[in-house]
Amino acid sequence: MEFLSNLDALYFVLILAGTLIGIIFGAIPGMTATMAVAVCLPLTYALDLNHGLALLLGLYVGGISGGLVPAILLNIPGTPSSITTTFDGYPMTQKGEGERALKVAIVSSLFGGLLSAAVLFSFAPLLADFAIKFSYVEKFLIILLALTVIASLSKNLLMGLLSALIGIWLALIGTYSVEVGGNGDMRLMMPFMEEFLYDGFSLLPVLIGLFGVAHILEEAEKGIHETHTDMKDALKNSLPFSFSVFRNQKTNLVRSGFLGTFIGMLPGVGGSAASVLAYTQEKNFSRHPEKMGKGAPEGVVASEAANNGLTGGALIPLLSLGIPGDSTTAVLIGAFTLQGVQVGPLFIGENVDTWNTMMVGLLAANIAMFVVMFFAIKHIAKVVMVPKHILYPIIMMMCVVGAYAINYGVMFDVWTLLLFGIGGYLASKIGIEVAPLVIGFILGGQAEVYFVKSLESFGTLTIFFTKSPIAVVLWLLIAISVGFSIYQASKAGRAKRDTDA
Amino acid sequence: MKKTMFGIALAACGVFAMTSVGTAFAETSFPRNLRIVIGSKSTGGDTYQNTAIVAEALAEKLGINVKVDAVGGSTGFNTIKRVSNGSVIMMFHDQAYLGYLYGKKGYDNPFTEYRIGPSVAINPGNAYLVAKKSPYQNVEELMAACAAGTDVRVAIQPGGVSEIGYSALKNAIRIQHPGKEGCLVAVNRGSQSDKNQAMFDGLADLINGSVQANEQYTRLPADDQKAMRFVWLTARDATIKQANPEGMGETSREMLLAYTDPAVSVTQDGSKNFTFDKEFFFLFNKDMDQKLVDELDQALTEIFAAGDIQKTQKKSFFIPNFRPSAEAEAYFKDKAAQYEVILGNLK
Repeated sequence: MEFLSNLDALYFVLILAGTLIGIIFGAIPGMTATMAVAVCLPLTYALDLNHGLALLLGLYVGGISGGLVPAILLNIPGTPSSITTTFDGYPMTQKGEGERALKVAIVSSLFGGLLSAAVLFSFAPLLADFAIKFSYVEKFLIILLALTVIASLSKNLLMGLLSALIGIWLALIGTYSVEVGGNGDMRLMMPFMEEFLYDGFSLLPVLIGLFGVAHILEEAEKGIHETHTDMKDALKNSLPFSFSVFRNQKTNLVRSGFLGTFIGMLPGVGGSAASVLAYTQEKNFSRHPEKMGKGAPEGVVASEAANNGLTGGALIPLLSLGIPGDSTTAVLIGAFTLQGVQVGPLFIGENVDTWNTMMVGLLAANIAMFVVMFFAIKHIAKVVMVPKHILYPIIMMMCVVGAYAINYGVMFDVWTLLLFGIGGYLASKIGIEVAPLVIGFILGGQAEVYFVKSLESFGTLTIFFTKSPIAVVLWLLIAISVGFSIYQASKAGRAKRDTDA
Repeated sequence: MKKTMFGIALAACGVFAMTSVGTAFAETSFPRNLRIVIGSKSTGGDTYQNTAIVAEALAEKLGINVKVDAVGGSTGFNTIKRVSNGSVIMMFHDQAYLGYLYGKKGYDNPFTEYRIGPSVAINPGNAYLVAKKSPYQNVEELMAACAAGTDVRVAIQPGGVSEIGYSALKNAIRIQHPGKEGCLVAVNRGSQSDKNQAMFDGLADLINGSVQANEQYTRLPADDQKAMRFVWLTARDATIKQANPEGMGETSREMLLAYTDPAVSVTQDGSKNFTFDKEFFFLFNKDMDQKLVDELDQALTEIFAAGDIQKTQKKSFFIPNFRPSAEAEAYFKDKAAQYEVILGNLK
């Protein structure tokens, strides 16, 4: 119990400060948990390892959680992993249930975070051994499973698939990077674009453009009608938050939390896949799938429990293999190296006190996130009351600043933001669906790498079916997911025909 | 209480102040805010770590704010190509010219397109490992297997530092067993995680790794799927000899020397052995004022003369390696020319 001596007042102050700063970063479109940790990393030089980690863990949990605020209130995913939170969170806000949606999201985030911390604490080395059973083949199948959400998300299946293909195509623009084992060649661009698109389009400017800027342009087209009095009435008459909303969500919470943790522990797969996968599964198993995407709390629950479940999950390979599970833990590893501490398969055994201190830190960061957000949310939710002629210019400014800052000051990212903003606005006019397009964009690059590398490694397409029992299980899940989507679509079609008749 | 107040002050000092180090005033021609872009996008890797150490020392010495930005190779090169007033300089390592030699997109000839600045440190950890249960005990056996016509698969990240050891090994096989170099097969992977995974999946017989990232794996029991063994460190033995005696983790400096030249022999040209030290150096816009170059050289000369930075570098498993700009340029030109011959032999 020597680690208790590490837990001084400063430790908890740093966790609280980190969580607060992280929430702010996550809540500003374009700023992410990764950026929060990277920006504050130099601060840890002045601290010892445990105090440095306290600050960074707070930033990590806060940063991941903060993304839910703009996702729900403004329809802009604050972080890529809160993309699916917009699907139901924003419609809830439009119904005047912004505060309720935020509270549902925060409680789900807390549950996901605590569940993953418990899994990390209890099974880290065991799960790390399981994680290495996932080679390129299994990772490709996981991405394929996440992509099946497109079938259930699309309003029109054909247009949805086309939109997803456009998203995948956009994701492939740039270099087939040697950093993922590629040949470093550029593709899908003209020579004059090479300087700007060497690394392809940056994810966050694309997301913010398609969601935030496009939405503002649509509103501008309609003309700005002051709706805050309507919104005031809606807020008054809306359903208040009650924990009873979780009565039927226990399975959803646990499943999504575990999915987040599981995806988190697979290096390279990433947080967006976790929330997309959790959302897909909830839609498949929901009693009222037709309500999802229109303001159903279960959609928010799935997305947020999964993306916070990621926090503990991504720490599993970091602390048990020395391999970061996601982009944020890749920065976190810097805190260890800067302090001269090796992370690898023997880290936990050789640094028991640091390990226990980190576990307390993770727990405290989740609780701090909950307390800070749950009680501040009443005021934050009032952002929807701000007149649009004031709110939208502020959002635009934040989007531009965020896009510029994401890669340490690259102007092309601002052009990307505007390009995709206008593109998103025009796309909706011709029936292109933004949600499948974005999911295609997020997952397309990984799908390509895992697919090509699987073929390079094994030389045959049959390997996707025969590689391992895990692959077979994943195919079954894919078949079930697609089957459910078709069944639901035909059910909805029948219901519509009956109503029309 | 004092510590708590310190923590609160730290947290409150604001996001932008966080990323800069040093603010005291001193006479310098550098702008008050100096940005060092690095050729890596990772803030958890050796490039960032090494640059952070140097940036902190420079900030203190020059009395300016120095900010390290992990922008990656392509963006870093584009930035210094654009900015000649000394407000942005770049820190990178041998990848800067190896990327060019391997014909990697986004890499120009750094000796003609940019100006080479002072070198500051070596990461001596570039390593090659086999699975603990591997039938191959050392590099000699791996080369003998190729000589006997058996394919040996090597997981590398293509196009630079990770590949140069593989190329050297292939070149050595070409010299010692002509015609058999094709048996050494590259398995292209990305991150260290991907290279490790190639070994876990049984898809690679040999992987490129590092002492820092893989040392703990070498201490796992042989029946663990993840267990590995070092067979080769590409660093010069003179470099390893400068490391702290405790080495890394449980692997002492003496133990590390067992994997370097001359204990491990990979011939470069039939007469001398190949070695490769991963060295960090500055790159500038080619039109940057000579006065600034001289000032940076002078500042680093004084920093290294004081001797404190070496302790910090060694603590983080870096080997101090300061050379002023002119000397560094000549040194790296020669180094690149030697590797160009090796790569030319394999074409």
